Amino acid sequence: MTNRLFISSFKMSRNISYIAVRVLLGIGLSATLSLVYTQFFWQEDLATYGEQLPELWQKADSCDVLYFAESSNATYADTDTSQKSISEYFADHVPNKKVCALNKGAVHAGVFLALIKQIPDSSKVKTIIVTMNLRSFDAAWVHSELETPLMKSNVLYAKRNPLLNKLFMSFGYYDHQTKEERNAHVEHQWRYDTLNFPFEYPYRTVRAWDDGFANGGYEIIDDTIWSYEKVSLACHYIKTYAFQIDTLTNPRIKDFDEIVKVAKAKKLQLVFNLLAENVEYADSLVGKPLSYLMYQNKNLLMDRYNKDGVTVVDNFDIVAGYNFMDQNWTTEHYFAEGRKQIADRLSLYVKIP
Amino acid sequence: VWQDKEKRESLKVTFMDGLGGFHYSIIFAGMLFNSWEFLVFLPVVVACYYLLQQKYRWMLLLLASCVFYMYFIPKYILILFVLILIDYVAAIFIHKARGGRRKLLLIVSLAANLGLLCYYKYALLITDSLQALVQLAGLHIYLPEIHVVLPIGLSFHTFQSMAYTIEVYKGRQEPERHLGIYAVYVLFFPQMVAGPIERFETLGNQLKQFHPFQMQNLVNGLRLVLFGLFIKMAVADQLSPFVDAVYKSPETYTSFSVMSAMVLFSFQIYADFWGYSTIAIGSACMMGVNLMDNFRAPYLSTSISAFWSRWHISLSTWFKDYVYIPLGGNRTTVVRWCINILIVFGLSGLWHGASWTFLVWGVIHAAMYLIERFFKKEVTSAFQRTLGWLFTFCGVTLAWVFFRSHSFEQASLMFSQLFADGTTSLRFTWQLITAVVLFVLADGIMQGKRFDLFIQHKALVWRWLVYGILLLGIVSLSVGDDQPFIYFQF
Repeated sequence: MTNRLFISSFKMSRNISYIAVRVLLGIGLSATLSLVYTQFFWQEDLATYGEQLPELWQKADSCDVLYFAESSNATYADTDTSQKSISEYFADHVPNKKVCALNKGAVHAGVFLALIKQIPDSSKVKTIIVTMNLRSFDAAWVHSELETPLMKSNVLYAKRNPLLNKLFMSFGYYDHQTKEERNAHVEHQWRYDTLNFPFEYPYRTVRAWDDGFANGGYEIIDDTIWSYEKVSLACHYIKTYAFQIDTLTNPRIKDFDEIVKVAKAKKLQLVFNLLAENVEYADSLVGKPLSYLMYQNKNLLMDRYNKDGVTVVDNFDIVAGYNFMDQNWTTEHYFAEGRKQIADRLSLYVKIP
Repeated sequence: VWQDKEKRESLKVTFMDGLGGFHYSIIFAGMLFNSWEFLVFLPVVVACYYLLQQKYRWMLLLLASCVFYMYFIPKYILILFVLILIDYVAAIFIHKARGGRRKLLLIVSLAANLGLLCYYKYALLITDSLQALVQLAGLHIYLPEIHVVLPIGLSFHTFQSMAYTIEVYKGRQEPERHLGIYAVYVLFFPQMVAGPIERFETLGNQLKQFHPFQMQNLVNGLRLVLFGLFIKMAVADQLSPFVDAVYKSPETYTSFSVMSAMVLFSFQIYADFWGYSTIAIGSACMMGVNLMDNFRAPYLSTSISAFWSRWHISLSTWFKDYVYIPLGGNRTTVVRWCINILIVFGLSGLWHGASWTFLVWGVIHAAMYLIERFFKKEVTSAFQRTLGWLFTFCGVTLAWVFFRSHSFEQASLMFSQLFADGTTSLRFTWQLITAVVLFVLADGIMQGKRFDLFIQHKALVWRWLVYGILLLGIVSLSVGDDQPFIYFQF
């Protein structure tokens, strides 16, 4: 009996020491890997997959104002009188402050949020201006196929151990839905999200509206025969702007809400720069119901974030239709005059401490 | 197909025009072995497996396998259930029946498997080829185009099912009476989508046995999964962008870059499939189930026949047992034997995909095999062995060009570019070089031995050093693009 007990306790202690040694080795290996990865590989991975983070750290050290934007701040025409960006025009208004921009095409509040979280507490930055792009709330942008690479970068932007971030990236721990899955989400929203108007209107979903217009519905606007290109553009405007922001489910709302919280926690002055949309063309191509939805969404955003104490600069309809570079598509790419208008308006409302 | 990210991103079966241009692509948004979903799924299944009593384990494995499969295209599980039911019933009746009825039942079972395979995999190849012939004849008849998404791993589980019914027919296997066990045999998640193609005698019987928890199984399984992930994520996925770039527009690359891409693809496909097989074997090993080895350092072979005894072993043995030997094997006239070889390799090529390029790949291997058999002398010196290795590696690498190309035009462009000069050169990054060096070293040192068996007798410090290198390789060399396994599409 004693002998058996002895053997059993001997086996148990052997098992415990077997596991203990491996647990210790595992901890040691993890620590070493973390150190080696951070020291030798992380910067290169950031340069390859998350180039905005090193840029942010570099600019956070020397700039007073950080301007977060998508392509609206990086696009100009060769024929422009000036090729200055919005942030550069804005910088002209605050000559004693250094304004720096972080631009990347197709980025949105989700990416801005991840980057803002990474602004070091010791940073020189006191004000952040974040572009608020109405289109970024629509189904096509929310479920854009560009989300996969953006979310891949976002994994690396997270405030975690770099080794863990890379592991998450390697094993696809981010939203990596396929193009078809994303298209299905868009189609679902277009088909089933009901549009509510305070007046009678025959179309209640994007798909119905789009189909209706494509099949002669444009006669509501005028009784001429439209070219194929004009009908296509009208349908494109419908698919882009015909939505009503659901504050409970729209991921951009969650991201902007979070940005407000993070900015407060970091004691940063926060400005949302609501970008201009081509309301003029939307109105002329599709009619009042579309501009009604656009203004309804704009007002919702203004009200929501003004209440939170954020300065929301309303540029929504200040740029004339001819000042949009893409006349046959919906973008926030403006000619120099449009960019300057937005920057001038921004300077009226934003006082840099 | 995998070579083109845009194409890979298409859920639809897409086809190119013209003979030899057929290709399909499937997006794998599901549970890949190199995804975080699988890293959660596997430990949960293993833990539940050991917590359950033996009589409930088949249920767990069946449920887990269904979940795993349904991560891809859920409704396709119904196809599998139908196949399982047909083969299960057929096997029982084959066993009972006598005389001609046995053969008839076998034919019904094989027809069900091959019929489904033909419909989902070859329908468009067949209709398009007929269409081309009809047009060549100057007739204005238009056949319907059949666009269907290929159920994942269909070629693997149909072959596994057919092996079972054939074995029952031959009287070498008792039919399985437990439908659940038979269903798990077909659906067993570690190997259901890309093999190894197991026989019921080995896998089915293991599923019926009780496997108590053994630390050694768990440790060996983890070792294999780690090594498999390294081979897949740090090597195969690292090589993929380089190979893709050259195959996409070979005309722009220098002859050296094209040659490098050919060699790199040889490594990529091996690493990809070896990695998958190793993870599959490791996952099963954690539950005490042994799956057969699928690779034994095939690129170290000094002859084509040796290559085929080391490459995709489970498929080679399947073709040997169920096609080559029934055709008469080598116990026949020389001409008939040559035809048998051509048939086996040709079918093996077509098994991989519904494209004439795959058939050519198989025929090239058959030709090399026959040349070798007719002209090879006994190897005595190291020089001869080296020459044999060179011939084998170069032959296999050149044949891969047809395997990798989505059309004959692309393949011929690759070959012609070997003698022309484009302006773009492949940039050999340190990651690419490291991946290749580590891969060649691993394969060379292990000499076909399984990683868990290779490492288990090494000193503790060495073992953990190797684990560290593998983990660092995964972390630093992986590209995180959710890359599917090449063989998942077959």
